[in-house]
Amino acid sequence: MTAEVAIAVSYAAALVVAAFVLELLSAHTHRRSLRFRTAGFTYDDRHDHWVCPEGEQLWPHELDRERRLVRYRARPHVCNACDLKHRCTDSDEGREIVRPLDPWPHSEAGRFHRVIALTLVVLSAFIVAVEFTRNHAALDVAALVGLLTLDVLAGSLLLRDLRLRPANFPEPAPWHGAGFRVPSRR
Amino acid sequence: MAAATRRDFLISKAWIQAVVLVVLCGFFVLGLLAYRTYMAHPPVPTRVVDPSGATLFTSDDVSHGQRVFLNNGLMEYGSAFGHGAYLGPDYTADYLRRAANIVRGIYGAPQSDAAARRTIRDFRTNRYDSSTHVLRFTRAQATAFRRLVPYYSGFFSDPTTEHGLKPDAITDRDALHDLTAFFAWTAWAAAADRPGHDYSYTNNWPPEPRVDNRPTANVVVWSVLSLITLLGGIGILFAAFGRWGSRLGWHGREQATLSFRAPGDVALTPAQRATSWFFFVMAALFLIQTFVGAAAQHYRADIADFFGFDLAQVFPYNLMRTWHVQLAIFWVATSFVAAGIFLAPMIARREPKHQDKLAFALLGALAVVVFGMLIGSYLGVHGVLQNAASNWFGLQGFEYLDLARIWQILLSIGLVVWVVMLWRVLRTRLATEHPGNMPWLFFLAACAIPAFYAVGLLARTGDNFTTTEFWRFWVVHLWVEDFLELFTTVMVAYMFVLLGVVRERIALTVVFLDIVLYSVGGVIGTMHHVYFSGEPAEHMALGAFFSAAEVIPLTFLTVEAWSFLQLGVQQESRSSVPFPHRWAVMFLVSVGFWNFLGAGIFGFLINLPIVSYYEIGTALTANHGHAAMMGVYGMLALGLAMFCLRYLIPAERWPERWAKICFWSTNLGLAWMCFATLLPLGLLQLYQSVDKGYFEARELKFLTNHTNALLEWLRLPGDVVFITGGAVPALYIAWLGIRYTVDRVTLDEPDDILFTVVREPEGVPRAGADEAAAARLV
Repeated sequence: MTAEVAIAVSYAAALVVAAFVLELLSAHTHRRSLRFRTAGFTYDDRHDHWVCPEGEQLWPHELDRERRLVRYRARPHVCNACDLKHRCTDSDEGREIVRPLDPWPHSEAGRFHRVIALTLVVLSAFIVAVEFTRNHAALDVAALVGLLTLDVLAGSLLLRDLRLRPANFPEPAPWHGAGFRVPSRR
Repeated sequence: MAAATRRDFLISKAWIQAVVLVVLCGFFVLGLLAYRTYMAHPPVPTRVVDPSGATLFTSDDVSHGQRVFLNNGLMEYGSAFGHGAYLGPDYTADYLRRAANIVRGIYGAPQSDAAARRTIRDFRTNRYDSSTHVLRFTRAQATAFRRLVPYYSGFFSDPTTEHGLKPDAITDRDALHDLTAFFAWTAWAAAADRPGHDYSYTNNWPPEPRVDNRPTANVVVWSVLSLITLLGGIGILFAAFGRWGSRLGWHGREQATLSFRAPGDVALTPAQRATSWFFFVMAALFLIQTFVGAAAQHYRADIADFFGFDLAQVFPYNLMRTWHVQLAIFWVATSFVAAGIFLAPMIARREPKHQDKLAFALLGALAVVVFGMLIGSYLGVHGVLQNAASNWFGLQGFEYLDLARIWQILLSIGLVVWVVMLWRVLRTRLATEHPGNMPWLFFLAACAIPAFYAVGLLARTGDNFTTTEFWRFWVVHLWVEDFLELFTTVMVAYMFVLLGVVRERIALTVVFLDIVLYSVGGVIGTMHHVYFSGEPAEHMALGAFFSAAEVIPLTFLTVEAWSFLQLGVQQESRSSVPFPHRWAVMFLVSVGFWNFLGAGIFGFLINLPIVSYYEIGTALTANHGHAAMMGVYGMLALGLAMFCLRYLIPAERWPERWAKICFWSTNLGLAWMCFATLLPLGLLQLYQSVDKGYFEARELKFLTNHTNALLEWLRLPGDVVFITGGAVPALYIAWLGIRYTVDRVTLDEPDDILFTVVREPEGVPRAGADEAAAARLV
């Protein structure tokens, strides 16, 4: 194998690894981000409810199809009597918690990180393609084909659930903010 | 009356004490290091003589040569002490290598050990007499200098453009002699032992076996110690955060149910409307910056031929590079200034009269400075303006502070005027607030921007190069990495408060935590830029140690900020009007990502002294520079512009699709740029530097070899996406902002400018005024 192909293949492989490290890290930061709102609460996935730090249970209350969220709510009279209410919620209807229906990458931020990871894989394949045009020795081609297979596998893995998940970001409709629009268009 | 209604500090006073303590300690140490810089920089001898006493060059020659180097924009072509641009050679290393080869040739055959030892002795022995201020070169060193004057004269007066410089760049014989004298002085300081030590003034940088320049004990030990500090610090911090993190108090609260005011419903003040022109200027500068960046990059891919055109005749590499780095600062700063003007009335709920006239005056002044800078740089690089004229109206030439002194002073004054403008708006609000609360933080952070930019005025082109580098990095590091970062954090936190994403107490905690953590390492960490620019070893020790410590909060805070910045995207409440800032908050998400990757990972990659020793002035620095400057500040500037333009452009004209294209193209283009070219190129160059030598890694022959040229071409798809999909749509959106600026004008803003808290039973959104109006319209 020529030195150039060896270096190119190593770097291209490193890019695939980097893509998956990025995937792990960004999913981690996203979980942390979700915890901004739910810290102190624990989720019981066997019975599908949350338990608040004071022991009150929050049960499913609504399915928000537009944003693809489940909303859980505690009993209002318990929350309104709670000493910690001022640190917990403004609402008099009981504390609410939401949980996204879809697994990662279900949000716009998730899609951003996923696409960056995909870009690294695409770049990896691009490097392999460039090397294909420059080197034709049997060993070189074998290494390049091997890496291309890796790229295709990694790419399809990353792409699969990206295509299934919506961004869950409400699109602004054209009439939003039309309240003060001057009727005649300029 | 104001005193009676003054709002108390929202969080614990311990935060203020911590900030004051950390900042005072940091600047006390930095003050000591400034004093040490003046005491221990390499001296410029009044005369350098050969053994017979004949003068080779004087201190005036060195000083003049340095001005020639700077005023002709050569620091934007090559570098000295490793600092500058990366196409040309590092002239310290270059002179040292050529002089060492000549000296060794004089002393004997290429294989002779005795000749090698004698060469080393010649260069390492410090023959500077501190009482007479005379430096005595050996006969061989003097011969080397006399032979290198014609060499450098030939290089800089080359009638072709094969080096990427303009033809006949410098032809004046005195200027060429003095330029060589400046290189000779830096090379002397790089090899001669510092009095009382067995390493040179530059901590033995550059690596050069011919003069026995190898990493000092300090370089190795402080690299190891700072690495251990980093690992230990991260462990302790994560343990502490696991133990006490929940007490920081921003966790677990329910997001209030909000109804966002639709952009078309938010009335704007006259000055806010004026900012649409700022954003247009910003986007135009951004587009120009990407074009000149592409031209500068093309020199690396194909130096002699720009698609059939000899570009260096008109736009030589150094002109492209100086425009590129200066415009980077200008367009980002324009966005920050505009966002400050835009946010201030939202914070104060009012705007005094004539603020818009001040805003336009400021924009006019900014335009004068920018065009003055662009024209001056051209005249400086082309040698139309010389010496003092170039210094004042052409090009000062310090990388990042290239602009002429007159523009530098005007820009500092302009930033002060901007602070005064903010004061006019915020005055009454500030009177009712504790000085630790958000409005004050916003104002104080804004004050720091002109204050630390003005520090750059202390660097004067004729002064000792070590001291000018010291002050330059106060601007490049302290201003950019600390105080812009601070202003950024305050502004983003305030945006989140205004949008109801977080509450004021939480935002305040985040800001204070940010100041404490960044300042602990960031202030003294400034010294990580000057490991090898003639500073004594303590600068390196403290710089390495504290900038490694800076990475501790970076790993923690950037992960935290990475999560924090994602908060805006999680629009889970049932607002009748959808959250209007999809792409503004997405830009903030990308800021979080690039902050971690570009500033954190790529920055630390080159931070350890031992890495920096071989790496300084190579593509890995450019990799960090692009990922951090464009990734963090560029994306932020675009995000702020999107936020403000969303209100400036009437809702029905808002180009959601173009905003989306702009977001994806800038991010993907930047990722491609870093991973396709800058990172692998930097790694190859680092390998070459350690393996073959620093001189070899900076040679044009290496930079333009087949592999590197291929790597440079690899980035083309990313650059095309970045420019056509990122910079062009940004300009189009900004153009919509000036073409269709909303007409509703007010001087008083309501309390809940951007949203109202909904308290309806079951949270079902009632038909808002805008929905009713929409129904009427439909």
